[in-house]
Amino acid sequence: MSRRFVVHLVCLALLNLGSPLVAQAGMIGTLQAVEATTRAQDLAAVNAALAREQVRAQLAALGVDRAQVESRVAALTDSELRGLAGRIADAPAGGDALAVIGVVFLVLLILEAVGVIDIFKKFP
Amino acid sequence: MRTSSAAGATVYVALLVLAGCAGREMLPEPLARAGLPSQVELRHAPFFPQRDHQCGPAALATILVAADVPLRPDELVAEVFVPDRRGSLQAELVAATRSRDRLPYLVSPDLSSLIAQVAAGRPVLVLQKTGAGPWPGWHYAVLVGYDLARDMLLLRSGTEPRLEIRMPQFLATWDRAGRWALTALEPGSMPAAADYARYMEAAAGLEAVGRNEAAALAYEAAARYWPGEALPQLGLANLAYAQGDLAGAERGYRAAIDRERGDAVARNNRATVLLRMGCPAAADREIDAAAILAADGPHTAAVAATRREIGSTGVVDGPGCPPDAAPAHSGS
Repeated sequence: MSRRFVVHLVCLALLNLGSPLVAQAGMIGTLQAVEATTRAQDLAAVNAALAREQVRAQLAALGVDRAQVESRVAALTDSELRGLAGRIADAPAGGDALAVIGVVFLVLLILEAVGVIDIFKKFP
Repeated sequence: MRTSSAAGATVYVALLVLAGCAGREMLPEPLARAGLPSQVELRHAPFFPQRDHQCGPAALATILVAADVPLRPDELVAEVFVPDRRGSLQAELVAATRSRDRLPYLVSPDLSSLIAQVAAGRPVLVLQKTGAGPWPGWHYAVLVGYDLARDMLLLRSGTEPRLEIRMPQFLATWDRAGRWALTALEPGSMPAAADYARYMEAAAGLEAVGRNEAAALAYEAAARYWPGEALPQLGLANLAYAQGDLAGAERGYRAAIDRERGDAVARNNRATVLLRMGCPAAADREIDAAAILAADGPHTAAVAATRREIGSTGVVDGPGCPPDAAPAHSGS
């Protein structure tokens, strides 16, 4: 059952594959050429298709409107998709500068616990 | 007794940390100040105060408007905000920049390169990591100015239109976030202190998502800026091929091969084009050269596919076939 599912998924993914540009079997896209010169690129195209599927599912799971998931995934390159797949839940997501408050609170809590300060007991 | 010694230790550690902070006034890295104005503030970079967790859309809007894309942060929320992460991913900021036909250039990870962009008139979106341990905080801000005499930087950050921050303090948060910095370029223009690999990766990204006109302008600019490099020629040739311009593509691949004779990609793609042009014998010679160069590399499979395609056709060239490209090894 699950193997059949994976086979279907890969078939579908392969059908969907392909950069919009260089579609012929043996043609090599510029980005592939660039990446080959900047870092070893040993991941096959099939991996990119599976990565696309994973990113699609994760964005939807994290609250992105389903109507927007498709266009957002389409805007990412294969290497960006491989970089995000499986990591969206803990990749850096810039939001607020406020987390530093957590650190201040932690320090106060430690100082309180070891008896250097005594502020929290004022709030019963 | 035990409590007081623990308290003493805590105070001691706190003092050490404070001393460490105070002692880091010296810049931890040399700053290339030569030739730069000593003080810059980009007043044309707009400020959009962030609303709940949406510093990503706000910061991105600042650099896009500065790159002549008229928009407001609200228009970017649907593209770059991930609700349950209460934030925006770096890759999606890059993607949204491409979607506006702007080249998302990731600035080299040093303070000198950041400041050079600002001196050239471009604000830079930076990622900062605040918080610690179980409370990491990620924040996007935009660098819009600096003052070398005072070692100060000027940010549009959160709800602060002009946040002044000391360079060492900024470096600490930027360093912890992997020194990630993005600037948006109008296609055809070059960043300050342009890095070839970074520029070409951004340009090829435009092509990979189908922004072909912007990609063409970027490749043309790269071909002018780095006239001896092969990749800009390869990019232009791939775009020509995508438009069905076989003769233009063939010339482009040949230009790439002239610059880099060991370029298996250009030779592989040129072989395909030659075959389509009715030149199977020339294609056969070119794919032979590509196969030797691509051996055990990342493009072996693609070259083998081209080889099979050529192998099944005749071996006599039609009229008007272009001359062979330069041989793979000079002097052979």
